[in-house]
Amino acid sequence: MTSLSRKNFLRFLATSIGSLYLSGCINQDKLLSRSFSPEKITPTPFLPGPQNTVEADPTIEPEETPTQEPSTTPVPVYPDLVVARQGDPEQMVRAAVDSLGGMGRFVTPGDVVVVKPNICASYHSYEYAATTNPWVVGAVVKLAIEAGAKQVKVMDYPFGGTAEQAYRKSGIQAEVQKAGGKMVVMSNIKFIETAIPEGKDLRSTRIYDDILRADVLINVPIAKNHELALLTLAMKNLMGIIYNRPYMHTNLGQRLADLSTRVRSHLVIVDAVRMLMAHGPTGGNLADVKKANTVIASPDIVAADSYAATLFGYQPEQLGYINKGVQMGLGIANLDKLNIEEIHLG
Amino acid sequence: MVKRGNIGRKGISPSQWVKIRKISQVIFFIIFLALFFWSRREFYLNPSVESGFKETLVNLPLKLDPLVMIAQAIASRKILQGSLLAVFTLILTFILGRVWCGWFCPMGTILEWLPLRSWKKKQPSVPEWFRGIKYVLLMVILFSAIFTNLTLLFLDPLTIGYRTLTTAIWPGLDKIVTFLELQLIQVPFLSAAVGGFDSLIRPAIFPAHPAFYRYGLLYIGFFFSLIVLNVLAPRFWCRYLCPLGGLLGLLGKVSLVGCEITSNCSTCGKCVPACPTGAIKDQGQVFCDPGECTMCLVCAENCPGDSVKFPFKVSQFLNQPYDIERRKVLLSMGATAVGVGLLETNFAGQVQPPTPIRPPGVMNEKLLSTCIRCGECSTVCPTNAIQMAVLDGGVEGFWTPIIVPRIGYCDYSCQACGQVCPVEAIPPLSLEIKRRQVIGKALVDRDRCLPWAENQECIVCEEMCPVPDKAIELELVEVSDGTGGTKILQRPVVVRKLCIGCGICETKCPVAGEAAIQITVHSGGHQPGRNHQGWQ
Repeated sequence: MTSLSRKNFLRFLATSIGSLYLSGCINQDKLLSRSFSPEKITPTPFLPGPQNTVEADPTIEPEETPTQEPSTTPVPVYPDLVVARQGDPEQMVRAAVDSLGGMGRFVTPGDVVVVKPNICASYHSYEYAATTNPWVVGAVVKLAIEAGAKQVKVMDYPFGGTAEQAYRKSGIQAEVQKAGGKMVVMSNIKFIETAIPEGKDLRSTRIYDDILRADVLINVPIAKNHELALLTLAMKNLMGIIYNRPYMHTNLGQRLADLSTRVRSHLVIVDAVRMLMAHGPTGGNLADVKKANTVIASPDIVAADSYAATLFGYQPEQLGYINKGVQMGLGIANLDKLNIEEIHLG
Repeated sequence: MVKRGNIGRKGISPSQWVKIRKISQVIFFIIFLALFFWSRREFYLNPSVESGFKETLVNLPLKLDPLVMIAQAIASRKILQGSLLAVFTLILTFILGRVWCGWFCPMGTILEWLPLRSWKKKQPSVPEWFRGIKYVLLMVILFSAIFTNLTLLFLDPLTIGYRTLTTAIWPGLDKIVTFLELQLIQVPFLSAAVGGFDSLIRPAIFPAHPAFYRYGLLYIGFFFSLIVLNVLAPRFWCRYLCPLGGLLGLLGKVSLVGCEITSNCSTCGKCVPACPTGAIKDQGQVFCDPGECTMCLVCAENCPGDSVKFPFKVSQFLNQPYDIERRKVLLSMGATAVGVGLLETNFAGQVQPPTPIRPPGVMNEKLLSTCIRCGECSTVCPTNAIQMAVLDGGVEGFWTPIIVPRIGYCDYSCQACGQVCPVEAIPPLSLEIKRRQVIGKALVDRDRCLPWAENQECIVCEEMCPVPDKAIELELVEVSDGTGGTKILQRPVVVRKLCIGCGICETKCPVAGEAAIQITVHSGGHQPGRNHQGWQ
């Protein structure tokens, strides 16, 4: 037994690094573009909204899925979409989610939940309505934890300024931490090339790992103006979870719908406590802010966005990504066909 | 305070003193590095929070540097409160000699750690007059400062340290670590660990977003060449070139404590090759030149007898052939006059002033006579918008901060550069005032912009614009959609009176290569026709 010489040590080092590297290469294909596994993203915590109403309310024609097999077990009746008004943000979120059947419908105990608010930049505080209302986000985190979530991570990838400062400036960090959630700063190395098999135009893109691995994704956008998309709502909010965002701007509507086929938002809560009516998405002028004191909740991302669009006086079909979302079967945009519950608090 | 009068007599032995000195070097080197990383992290996390504390702390090394502070005070005709700290270093040097060089200076420490070859047996063959170079450099720097020129401060050892760390070592290490992370994260059983590791080191040590600095190779090359010069003589830079060493050496010549070879010396000559700066000379009689001595105490450690003492006395002012004398002063004055004069008569510079985009609140003319070329603004800039000029700002503007918007934008909620600047060359502005600083104006290149040139949808610049009322408007036009019909297209138009030139539009423009929207110099902030107003 001789002591390890430098040469042998280097040889050993090179071999181990080499084999480590090779093992990485072998797995590269599989890992770099994770195959589509709906079970993994959607661990069936609920049945999609439209089907519920089919079961419960035969007066409404099932539009999207006419050949849907009837469920064998009776499903409780929930509205497709709930609008809560005139309360404080937490009250509105609680009331809306309770009407949808409670957070327990979406979060099963032990789940890892990702909450995706819109924290687009570090420029202004929440009053300017460029970032999601911190108490709305805080309430969502509380509800998820009350429903037994193992961990609630809150994250966004601001395009202006540092994430840390944006988290603080928006007030979201304070409320999330108070509620027991965790603010996660998104790391550049964790965006993973992911195939989008159902995508028509966007077939593959780099998506954030934590979101792909989460059991439940709760999408909490703020309703605000955006010149190209007209409005930034829930589907547009998912821009924050991918790496190559400038690429999205050509054929935005279709690509956003494609993205939503891969990353499903299990619950959408649109914050319209304050709405940014112009100069979005960054804002900065209080004159552009309209206080609407409204929260919209729905498991149907298209429905939630469609309803939110009407708050700005738009018809849902004016928004490109809503149209594409309907075409891709992501949900219902026709508000007349939805079972909407309106709650007035206070 | 360390007293060295009792060396070799009682208590601590010379070799123990050398150990203490080495520990001091390690500590100060670590402090220097720690402040570097800490400043980057602090200003990244809180780019708009003024605490007073961090601003003072990160600048400590530079404020203790008498060369930059004196030159800056002369050139800007203004003494800053903070630069009075440098007086402390001067007093310390007056009492103890060049302890800065031997005990504290991070550059000196590196050069001492990397001698590259053994000097035990041989003497360097570099001619002694080389030692005069540092004095000439020092005088040229100070004379230029009278002419409001600070260009040569890029030769200060601390600014060399900051420059190399910022532009080369730190981003280089980051690239290697990122590469390894990206490889290892693909290994299934390692991905969670790599993710955890990543959140540990970012932004604590490495940048959260990939850091880019131009010409990193140039600066690391310069730094390496200083190390490689050690092949010719130990601590070559400190002996012959360092202008700060020159300044401290002048003071060291009259310091109160100094190395003395006592009369009971056996002239064995062991201390002569041992001295890392060659301060001890054997010219029949063994003696030490206090102007060259860095108080490293290696001579005392090597003395077989007890002949090296560090008594408390006024050093004799021994003028050496390489020291300052009339010829060197005249040479320096001549070189300065010719150099500064030629920079000023640069005709191209007058007609087409090289006025690049400067950080917020900076007046180009004032910057050149205030900036000490330390590059701390570039270190802390969270978006890498601040890069250091090579020739972008004219020869005299070498290593002054400029903004390169294609690399990074001036964050609307950041004021880090003004806070960190040790000499207020970038004024410390409140966030509210900084947001109103016009650093340039955006210009759309309609021949390359997607909606203008190719009828494609794109509004990224408008979307990104942080100005509350949007300095980019979207013009609606009806264009052919390529299938026979028409569509309404939005085309970006800059509202010049609102634009502050932050450059986020240029940074994020999805057009490949040069952006289709670019920031151009705004004449409001600069004097057209002249780039250097210092004379008047």
